[in-house]
Amino acid sequence: MEGILNLWNATGIANFTIPSLIMIAVGCLLLFLAIAKGFEPLLLLPIGFGAILTNVPVAGLSDPGGLLYYVYYVGIDTGIFPLLIFMGVGALTDFSALIANPRMLLLGAAAQFGIFATLFGAILLNYVPGFEFTLQDASAIAIIGGADGPTAIFLASKLAPDLLGAIAVAAYSYMALVPIIQPPIMRALTTPEERQIKMPELRKVSKKEKIIFPLMVLSLTAMFLPAAIPLVGMFCLGNLMRESGVVDRLSNSAQNEIINVTTIFLGLAVGSKLAADKFLTVETIGILVLGALAFAVGTASGVFMAKGLNRISKTPINPLIGAAGVSAVPMAARVVNKVGLESNPHNFLLMHAMGPNVAGVLGSAVAAGILLALVG
Amino acid sequence: MDIGALLTTAGNLMLTGMVGVFVFLSILIGAVTLMSNLVTRFSEPDVATPVKSPSFKSQGVPNEHIAAISAAIAQYKSNNN
Repeated sequence: MEGILNLWNATGIANFTIPSLIMIAVGCLLLFLAIAKGFEPLLLLPIGFGAILTNVPVAGLSDPGGLLYYVYYVGIDTGIFPLLIFMGVGALTDFSALIANPRMLLLGAAAQFGIFATLFGAILLNYVPGFEFTLQDASAIAIIGGADGPTAIFLASKLAPDLLGAIAVAAYSYMALVPIIQPPIMRALTTPEERQIKMPELRKVSKKEKIIFPLMVLSLTAMFLPAAIPLVGMFCLGNLMRESGVVDRLSNSAQNEIINVTTIFLGLAVGSKLAADKFLTVETIGILVLGALAFAVGTASGVFMAKGLNRISKTPINPLIGAAGVSAVPMAARVVNKVGLESNPHNFLLMHAMGPNVAGVLGSAVAAGILLALVG
Repeated sequence: MDIGALLTTAGNLMLTGMVGVFVFLSILIGAVTLMSNLVTRFSEPDVATPVKSPSFKSQGVPNEHIAAISAAIAQYKSNNN
């Protein structure tokens, strides 16, 4: 009789708690969004599955000794996974549009206002009972506005590991929602005439320039903002492997195998942070609201900056491309192209939007470095 | 720390952060512009060789092989005539 009772106590059914069941439902929701709706499936699928695994009672996958515990410890606690992904992103990024028109960096800088405004908003939220965000928490939440998954995970793992699950889910969900969040803001802030502005064709960028660019970014970061070196350094390594043209094998690995393998484990590790006691809190709701705010403010400030530049610039600048400054490569640039085509079916803004788009990646890495240096 | 003091710190952080991002990326703009100017000034007009024979390149057949094959065909023809 006692044996049967022990066996019963070892089953999942006897040990399920309501919070863990809710979290398994959240995991299933993420799987649904990934599979049926196609929302960032590469990440939401492993994250959702990780969330389910971690909430299975008795198995203890996220307890010391469990698989997910070690995956998290090895990959995210150390910061290695987001950095490996960043190397792959560097190898996937073509900076031609930015080198041809370096002023686009200003748009990437302006869109980072979403990050810093959200930081302020997160602290402001402390006036609402139930919220107790520290400056570290607020900074980690704010980086959602950088619209860059690896940067958000890297910073959250350093500043607020407890909030990492919610922050990563918010960051990737909103990146998937860029085509829904951005266009209304872009339309509201621009006139139809502005949206029709045609931009002159970009000049051709030589191979030498493309090779020197990552080295230059690296040396400037080393001189002015060493705190950003982990992110920027790996990014530049990936980009140099791509542009040098002598290590195609390494570049291809970084773009494909390494980034894919890392994505699986990064997703699982992030999912393992979706435990009931950490996720089912009022703070998660705050993070989701602040994340949306961060995207909206970033988009708006990018568009405003582009409008300003258009006033003072000799060559016309379509204000829509400012919205691509939030990064979220290449989704945000595609959204700009689409909204531009609505106003003028012959005006293709994709290449022009890629400039601020990749500038946004650099901008959010720099912003992350600044937050690490000041708050970390 | 009370919320008021935190807000002041956050406000300061917002200001320094934005100034930092703008200053850094502005320096980068200057550096990229300078680099592009130097590269275009000091490099000879664009080398056109890579564009010259794109079809051979894409098939991965080196020029020496093509030369060797053509020579062999020529020899074969001359032997059979």
